[in-house]
Amino acid sequence: MGQYVHRSTLATARVLSAPTRRALVPERLGRLAREMWKHRWLYLLLVPPLTYYVIFRYIPIYNAQIAFKDFRPLLGVEGSAWVGFEHFQTFFHSYYFTDLIVNTVVFSTGKLVLGMPVAIVLAIAIHESRFMFFRSLVQTVTYLPHFLSWVIMLGLLLGLLSPSSGMINEGIQAAGGQPIPFLTSPDWFRQVVISSDIWKDTGWSTILYLAALLGISPDLYEAAAVDGASRWRRIWHISLPGIVPVMVLITLLRLGNILDAGFNQIFILYSVPVYSVGDIIDTWVYRSMLDFQFSVGTAVGLFKGVFGLVLILVANQVAKRTANQSLF
Amino acid sequence: MLRTTFVKGALIGLVLIVVASACAPASTPAQTPAPSQPTVAAPAQPTQAAVSGKPVDVELWAQATSTQAGAPPDDWVGYKTIREKLNINLKYVIIPTGADGETKINAAAAANALPDFFQTVSTSSERNKCLELYKQGLIAPIDDLMKAMPTRVKTHYNDPAALSLTKFDGKQLCTVEVPNLPRREGLVIRKDWLDKLGLKAPTTIDELLVVAKAFTTQDPDGDGKNDTYGIGGYWDSGTWGLGNRFEFVTGAYGLPGLWNFANPDHFGLNVRDPDYPKALAAFKQFVDAKVIDPDWATIKRDEFRIRWPQGRYGIMWEDFAALAMKSNYAKFDGNFPNGEWVPLPALQAPTGKKAYYNAYGSVGNIFAMSKKAADAGKGPAIAKLLEWMASPEGYYLLGFGVEGVNYKVSSDGVVVTTGLPDAKLAWNAEGTQNLTQMRNQLIFTNDPKEVAARYVDFKSKNGRTISPMSFYQFFSTQPWVDSKPGQLIVYPSNRADLKRFYDENILAFVLGTKPLNDQTWADFLKGLDNLGAGKWEADAKKTLQDAGYAVK
Repeated sequence: MGQYVHRSTLATARVLSAPTRRALVPERLGRLAREMWKHRWLYLLLVPPLTYYVIFRYIPIYNAQIAFKDFRPLLGVEGSAWVGFEHFQTFFHSYYFTDLIVNTVVFSTGKLVLGMPVAIVLAIAIHESRFMFFRSLVQTVTYLPHFLSWVIMLGLLLGLLSPSSGMINEGIQAAGGQPIPFLTSPDWFRQVVISSDIWKDTGWSTILYLAALLGISPDLYEAAAVDGASRWRRIWHISLPGIVPVMVLITLLRLGNILDAGFNQIFILYSVPVYSVGDIIDTWVYRSMLDFQFSVGTAVGLFKGVFGLVLILVANQVAKRTANQSLF
Repeated sequence: MLRTTFVKGALIGLVLIVVASACAPASTPAQTPAPSQPTVAAPAQPTQAAVSGKPVDVELWAQATSTQAGAPPDDWVGYKTIREKLNINLKYVIIPTGADGETKINAAAAANALPDFFQTVSTSSERNKCLELYKQGLIAPIDDLMKAMPTRVKTHYNDPAALSLTKFDGKQLCTVEVPNLPRREGLVIRKDWLDKLGLKAPTTIDELLVVAKAFTTQDPDGDGKNDTYGIGGYWDSGTWGLGNRFEFVTGAYGLPGLWNFANPDHFGLNVRDPDYPKALAAFKQFVDAKVIDPDWATIKRDEFRIRWPQGRYGIMWEDFAALAMKSNYAKFDGNFPNGEWVPLPALQAPTGKKAYYNAYGSVGNIFAMSKKAADAGKGPAIAKLLEWMASPEGYYLLGFGVEGVNYKVSSDGVVVTTGLPDAKLAWNAEGTQNLTQMRNQLIFTNDPKEVAARYVDFKSKNGRTISPMSFYQFFSTQPWVDSKPGQLIVYPSNRADLKRFYDENILAFVLGTKPLNDQTWADFLKGLDNLGAGKWEADAKKTLQDAGYAVK
C-alpha cells in the first residue's frame, strides 16, 4: 500500500507546477528519512559494504587518470604529465592486439557458455536427488576444487595430462595411441583451460541455481505431479523457467567482465608454444609491466572496464526487451 | 526485549568496528622531507635517531640464497645482534626470483613504497633496472655510503669495472655485490647409465643424440619400465629463445645467448648468423626423436629439480651447487646410491666452428637505496649495516651462523662443520638454511678459503667422494662467451611483443609447429625487423661503443 501511495505521489508530482513540485521535495525527503529511521537497523547493516565500496572501489577510480599521464611515482598521480591517449594507442597498436582480444573473448565466452549449462544440470540433479546423504556428498565433492589454488591445479593437471607421466596419456599409450601434449599443443590448450575452469568452479556455481530452485513453490511440482507430468516435464516446465532470472543475472554480470578471462589460471598454465591461443590481455599487460609501463597497464584496465560497462548496459536492455528480465 | 537490545548493540558494535578499521590510517610511513634536504648525511654525522638513541628501522628486500628454506625466524640471532650492536631494527624481506620478484619491485615502485635498501630484481638486466629507477627518481645515489664503508669497499666493491655499470653522470647509483661464482653451470650425464648400456660419453651433438635415444629407449635404469628420458630441462622464461637450459646446442654452433658477443666484428643478434637455423634444426632432431622430457616447455625449475633426483633423466644442464652440494644431492643419493653424474665438455657441431659451452653475463646482484630512505636520513644506518656485514662479526654470523653451534674454524682458517655438538645444526645442513639466507646476496666474497668452506667434498651412500668444486672447476674452464656487456643494452619499449615473437617462433621451429626452411627463417627475421629489432641492434651497438667496447 505504501509503495502504491509513493508511486501515485510521484505520478502526481510530474503533472504539478514547478513551485508545487519544489514544495513536495521536503515532504518526500522527510518521508524517506522516517522510513530509513524505521528500518534503521537494516540500513546500518548496509554501512560496512558501502564503506568498502567507497574506499576500495570508488576512491581508487580517481587514480585511473594515470592512464592519460606519463606516470612517475615520485611525482605522484597529480604531478605526472598528461599525455592524452598515447597509452591506449600503445595497446591498440600492439602487434598482438587482435590475438589478445580474440583469446580473451574466446576464454570468457567459452567458460560462460559451456560452464553455465553444466552448473545448471548439476544444480537440477542435486535438487532432484531424494537421498540427502548423496546430495550432501556430491555438493561437498564438487565444491572442493573451488578452494584449490591454480598452482595446485597445475600439479593435478600435470598428473593427469603430462605426456611423460600423466594418467590420461598413460591410458592413451596403453590403448596404442601417441601421447598428446595437452598443455603445450595449440590444438588442445583452450579446451584444457575451459574444461579445467569448469571442473574447478562448477560446484561453486551451482549455489545460486540451487538457491533459485529451492525458491520455487513446492505446490507447482505437486500440482504438476497430480496432473500426471513426468519428472522431465516438471524440470522443463517448472525448474528451468524458475531459474531463468538467475541465469539472466549471472549472464549479465559475467558480460561485464568479458575481458577478464582468468589471469591466474592462464598465467599458471600457459607457455610459449601456446601463446598464439593462450595469451590474453592480462598476461600481455603483466609482461609489459616488467618495463615500468604502469600507465599502459592502467589504460588497458580502464579500457576493459568501459568495454564491460557498455556491454552490460546493452545486454541489460536486450534482456529487458526479449526476456522481460534485467538487472536494473 | 533483552534479545532485541542485544542484537541491536551487536550490530552497532560490528558496524563501528568495520568503519573504524576502514577509516584508520595505514601504518604511517616516515614523513618525507622536502627534496631540498640532503639525501645522505656525511658518515661522521649521526642520524637524529642515533642521537636520540632510538633504533633506526631499516627494511631490506633481497632474494634468498636457499629459495625453499624460508625467512629467518623473528627471534633470529642476527636481528638481535644488529639491534644491539648497530641500533638498527632490521626488517628482512625475501623477494621471489625472476619475473615475480621484478613484479614485486615494480609494484612497490609504482606506489612509491620501495623499501630502504633492496635488490633491483630484473629478468633482463638488474643494471638497467637500477638506471630506470633512478630516472624515475625513486632511488638515491650512494656515493656517501661508499665513503662510509671502507672495509666493504675493499672486500665487496673492489671491481671498478663492475661498479662502473651502475655509475651515471659521475654518480654511483647502486652497489654491485660480489657475483655468484661465474660459469657455474654445465652439462652432466649419468655415467652409470652409460656403463650399463656400454656407451661412451658424447663429444658432439650427433653423438649426444645417439646416447639420448639409448637412454630413452633401452631402459638404462634397469627397472623394466619405459620411464626415462635422455635429456631433462625446462624453458627458462628469463632468457630468450631456447632458454638457458638448452643453449649448449646453440653453443655447439658457436652462437650461445641472445647477442653475438663471440664475434664482436659482426655484433648483433645471434639469429642473424646463417648457422643459427642449423642449430635449431639440430635441436629439433632431439624433439622429433622424443628424447627430451616432453614437459620441458611447461614445467618450472622447482619441478625440474624434483624430477632429476627421481632418475627421470640421463643428461641435463644444471648448476654445480644444485647438483653436487650435499643437501641438494641427498635425494638423488637416497634414490640411486650407485647413480653417478659426470660432467660433459662443450659439444662440437658438424659446422666445425669453435664451440662454446654457453654465454655468461652475471655481474653480481645490484642493490639500491630508495630515495625515500635517503630523504628520511637512513643512509648512514644502511652504510653502517653493510659495513658491519663485511666485518668479521657480521660476515661469520650472517654467512655461517653461530660459532660452535653452526660452524667451527679450523687451524688454517677454513670454516668447517666437523665436531659440532649437533650435525643437524651445521650451517650447510638442510634445516638451517633460513639462518643464512643473505649469504649469497650480501655476505660472501668468493675468497678461496670461503669457497673451500662453502663447497666441501662429502661421501655418497656407496662411499664415493662427491666434490662440488670438481664440477665447478670443470664447468668454469670450458669455453664460455662473456656477455656481461649485455647488461648495458636497454630493451625497446615493445619488449613484450618482441620477446613473444622471438620466443614463439624459435619454439615453433623446434617443436615442428612451423616448418624450418630458408623462406620461413627469412620471414622470421623480417618479422623481427618489423618489430624494431634492427633499430634495437643499432642502438645496442652504439651503447656498447659509447661504453668503450670494440663492437662493429
